[in-house]
Amino acid sequence: MSVLLSVPGFLANEPVRVALAVGGGAALVCAVVGCATVMRRQSFAGHALADVSSAGGSAAYLLGVNPLFGFLGMAAAAAGVMEWADIREARERDLLTGVVLGAGLGLAALLLYFDATVRSVSGAAVTVLFGSMFTIPASIVPLALAVAAVALAASAIVHRPLLVSSLSADLARAQGIRVRAVALTHALALALAVSLSAMTVGAILSTALLIGPAAAALRLAKRPASAVVFAALIGLGATWGGIVLAYESFYWTPGHGWPVSFFIVALIFCAYLIAGWRAGRAGVRRAPHPSGCEGT
Amino acid sequence: MKRLLCSLRRGLRVVLLGGLAVLAASCGAAAPGGPPLAIGVESQYADVLSQIGGPYVTVRAILTNPNTNPHSFEASPAVAREVSQSSLVVMNGLGYDAWVERILAAAPNPRRRVIDVRRLLRLPSDTLNPHLWYDPRTMPAVAEAAAQALTALDPAHAQYFQANARRFTASLAPWAAAIAAFRKDYGSTPVAVTEPVANALLEAAGCRILTPLALQVALMNGTDPAPQDVAAERSLLRGRKVKVLLYNQQVTGPLTISFLQLAREQRIPVVGVYETMPSGYHYQSWMLAEINALRAAVAHGASSRTLGVEPAR
Repeated sequence: MSVLLSVPGFLANEPVRVALAVGGGAALVCAVVGCATVMRRQSFAGHALADVSSAGGSAAYLLGVNPLFGFLGMAAAAAGVMEWADIREARERDLLTGVVLGAGLGLAALLLYFDATVRSVSGAAVTVLFGSMFTIPASIVPLALAVAAVALAASAIVHRPLLVSSLSADLARAQGIRVRAVALTHALALALAVSLSAMTVGAILSTALLIGPAAAALRLAKRPASAVVFAALIGLGATWGGIVLAYESFYWTPGHGWPVSFFIVALIFCAYLIAGWRAGRAGVRRAPHPSGCEGT
Repeated sequence: MKRLLCSLRRGLRVVLLGGLAVLAASCGAAAPGGPPLAIGVESQYADVLSQIGGPYVTVRAILTNPNTNPHSFEASPAVAREVSQSSLVVMNGLGYDAWVERILAAAPNPRRRVIDVRRLLRLPSDTLNPHLWYDPRTMPAVAEAAAQALTALDPAHAQYFQANARRFTASLAPWAAAIAAFRKDYGSTPVAVTEPVANALLEAAGCRILTPLALQVALMNGTDPAPQDVAAERSLLRGRKVKVLLYNQQVTGPLTISFLQLAREQRIPVVGVYETMPSGYHYQSWMLAEINALRAAVAHGASSRTLGVEPAR
């Protein structure tokens, strides 16, 4: 009804500006890291990292520190462990990932219980698991953007060797690429992406922002480079669009805004469906191969 | 961290006490002839029960810790056992202590009397603010209902209970006088709050609560606040449109902390209000301390995050 009538109010609104900055950074990093993650078939690992990071977010409330530090610390530790274990066999890797995921969420359940009973933090569970972008303090913005910059720089540095080693580890070694170091760098970039995403849409939903735009983009794009650009556009569009819709929803049900995470994830889902429909019409069904060859 | 350890130790003590309570109960607490067990689910109701029943009733409180959030309380088996063995229960209602109803339904007792304060005050079941005990009209009604219920359990001491109820209501006079004086001196003072904890008292004192109710409810229930409401609260503080910020001393989160910080930057006094009666207080002295803290903030710009504990017992 009042769509965009309130644009000046929208941009003057401090929680909205913080959300636009943190969400925008998260969407960009997730687009870049997400494309590599989907191509390396590490979606499940990305989801596991996000779930494990919820324990860090919950611990941050207990210790009274910045939740981004909590998400980051836990996700980076889990990424390190999973890379260190270095299991090649897909079935074993899925099992390990699943078990770590369960343990992380279980720890989060305990810490959230302590948050509520010992520290009396109101709404920690909802904020950690499903995100609450409009409650992010403005003081987090510089740190979040710095984390985003580090993740983007790390991805940029390893993107070429990562593509080669995703294609064939032996070929990469023959080219003198340090495969383990590259994989570890990517895993840490993944941890940073997941932490930013957890700040934005919560730990449980953070895979949606990591995988969704990348998956939709890989259905549309013919080359990895254009996939990254599409993923960034879809991720930014969904995140910022979600913030606009959450802001507008205040006027739909008087006095109550709808949760911003719902809108972001819904927009990503729509983008994925539309991308599938368009790819189907264009006859492009498969995601582009890491080598950059066109799909058929 | 120190606080965590303290709380863990306190938790351990509660668990041990709870275990002892179960042991005591299973060793025949329902001894015929002993004083009946009355439960005030929130410690403020238990305090009133004690003041009415005196030595002729054993009173237990369940929500007693002012450092935790009553909204997120989970009943332990020991608490369930105690509630199910009680003869009189005073509960707040309005979902604040909904778990009591489930325990009572599981252990029916035709002799037991239950005072649901929301029903007692004939408030609609969709009343948004559950913190009924801040309303000056609440406790006199509770005292009267408690006296009647205790009389039904122990008719021999009817006169004693009735006299105590009258004495209790009379003892609220200093509080009522302090509210009236505030209203006269500082009526229609604009205030901001985080949660609707002390709203009934603020309204009785003639304050204008400028914080959007939706934000108060979102902070109370831990749901996503609307950015419009967050911005509205910030502009109240930044523009110094309020004389005082009252916040729930028992529950804090990142958003509450940011409001407190903004208030400090703008030199707006803050007053911490309690959901659960702090130890060292009776209901009367607690409520008087809250209105005095509000007066000190408005009159002298004095902040009081905690109520200084004065020996009331």
